[in-house]
Amino acid sequence: MSMHGIPQGLVNPPRPLSDADEARLPHGRLGPAPGTLILVLIFLAAFGIYYFANWKLLSFVWRIG
Amino acid sequence: MNVLHRICPATGLKIDRQAELLMKSHAVMATVALLVGGITAILILLTRWQAVHLLGPVWYYRALTVHGITMLIFFILFFEMAVLYFTSGPLLNSRIAAPRLGWLAFALMVVGAVMTEWMIWTGKADVLMTSYVPLRAHPLYYLGIILFAVGALIVTLQFFATLVVARRERTYEGSVPLITFGAAAAAVIAVITLGHGAAIYIPTFLWSLGLMEVDPQIYRMVWWALGHSSQQINVAAMVSVWYLLGALTVGSVVLNEKISRTAFVLYVLFISMASAHHLLVDPGFGPAWKIVNTSYFMYMAVLASMLHGFTVPAGVELGQRLRGFTHGLFGWVRRAPWGDPGFSSLVLSVVVFGFVGGITGVTIGTEQINIIAHNTLRVPGHFHATVVSGTAMAFMGLTYYLIPLIFRKKVAFWPLAKMQPYLFAGGMLIFSVFMSLSGGFAVPRRHWDITFASAPFGLEFSPTVDLLMGVMALGGLLAAVGGGIYILITVWSVFFGVPLDEREIAHVDARYPAGTRESAASAV
Repeated sequence: MSMHGIPQGLVNPPRPLSDADEARLPHGRLGPAPGTLILVLIFLAAFGIYYFANWKLLSFVWRIG
Repeated sequence: MNVLHRICPATGLKIDRQAELLMKSHAVMATVALLVGGITAILILLTRWQAVHLLGPVWYYRALTVHGITMLIFFILFFEMAVLYFTSGPLLNSRIAAPRLGWLAFALMVVGAVMTEWMIWTGKADVLMTSYVPLRAHPLYYLGIILFAVGALIVTLQFFATLVVARRERTYEGSVPLITFGAAAAAVIAVITLGHGAAIYIPTFLWSLGLMEVDPQIYRMVWWALGHSSQQINVAAMVSVWYLLGALTVGSVVLNEKISRTAFVLYVLFISMASAHHLLVDPGFGPAWKIVNTSYFMYMAVLASMLHGFTVPAGVELGQRLRGFTHGLFGWVRRAPWGDPGFSSLVLSVVVFGFVGGITGVTIGTEQINIIAHNTLRVPGHFHATVVSGTAMAFMGLTYYLIPLIFRKKVAFWPLAKMQPYLFAGGMLIFSVFMSLSGGFAVPRRHWDITFASAPFGLEFSPTVDLLMGVMALGGLLAAVGGGIYILITVWSVFFGVPLDEREIAHVDARYPAGTRESAASAV
């Protein structure tokens, strides 16, 4: 909950973490940050597609042989 | 109350009075620079939008010179100096070293910036930001930049001196926080950058006085070691701000200290070589030199960005999950504080910087691909996504925290502040993407009139270009509205804002960095 004119991180800062919080954290097959892992894979796919498309474009204007 | 420092009620940190005043002064100058750069941005935009074509050639290139130097050098460096003071003084609970020297440096930076601006606005330095030799500006233009750089160098050295003071006086325990470590990486890159700046601007100043010759190819090589490396100071500072905003807004954890710190070291070691990608079509350098620098060394710096691009959102996710937001893959995203402009700025900065700026930059920095992208609008399309959507967006997000913490005012026009990051980032996203697409049709960068109306030859672009550049202009105007709102909010808050009642942010467990610690739960 943010107060008018003051960001939430100051009015209602994130509570300190304890060892109990870490003990309760479920661990799946994708590690402690599975959502980020998915986002990173999307990023890598976008990167690969854009990079390949540029080499393809280059092949149109720079023919070999 | 101690006259030399105060205790921050939100963080419990000791805020050195001189550091506070210096931070405020640099932040105000950064905002002034942003205003000047923003006005010229609109003028340039309305000229490149062929349907409007507002300015004539002289004022177009003049505005472009002002825009480049004011945004990329003055705005960014003034803000970064404020970040250096914050991360060395308050964040380490320390006084700053040699505050009088800080004021001398600030005066040098202001005088240098004003001198440079004056020369450009009066038509004595229509040389664009790069000022390639043999384009000759008035000597005071070069002198202004030299003074500004000397001021920035003094602040950087003062930063290192403050680290020594803090260590000697034992104001913190263990290693410096990751955020300070990142700022130190930015400071080291700044020293390298400013050294190259001196190496090229001093001879060029003497050349402008007719005292010596400067080789144009050598100028380009050394200048880009300043011109590009200065943007790498931004990257290191921006990433530090990402970690800081994550900690402040959602209590993100540091996934792995060693990985994050190693990534900062990679920046220091390899990022300067990336400057070579500006010279990929220059005939004076061989392909081996170009490829080694841009396709080997540069990728080590890219690796660093990709590491941060993983650890920052992963730290946010883990911080959220540790606080109970464990529903599904993206429950932590849905439950995030999207109405906090600090948080939304962080996310938008990471996403646009990575997905648009990062991907396009690595691709067009490849030697072979560069041949179809060099000097087209794809280049500014890339760096507007990095410097503006990335760095400036992150700095804007931090401002919403600095106003209450440092200026001790409430953020004015709060509903607008909550909306501002979305307007700015959304506008810049449209602008960058459509600028890049226009560049894909070989539309040149910097050019005043792509219809070549009075040229002795004709060149027609695909009609699609008109549509792409029209959408680009609309995106740019949307971003300008977002930028204007930011300036309105900051100026109003600082000079006419409601004073903060410190009880509103005082907490029993006042501590900082909140959540900025390595988590035992992280298994990376």
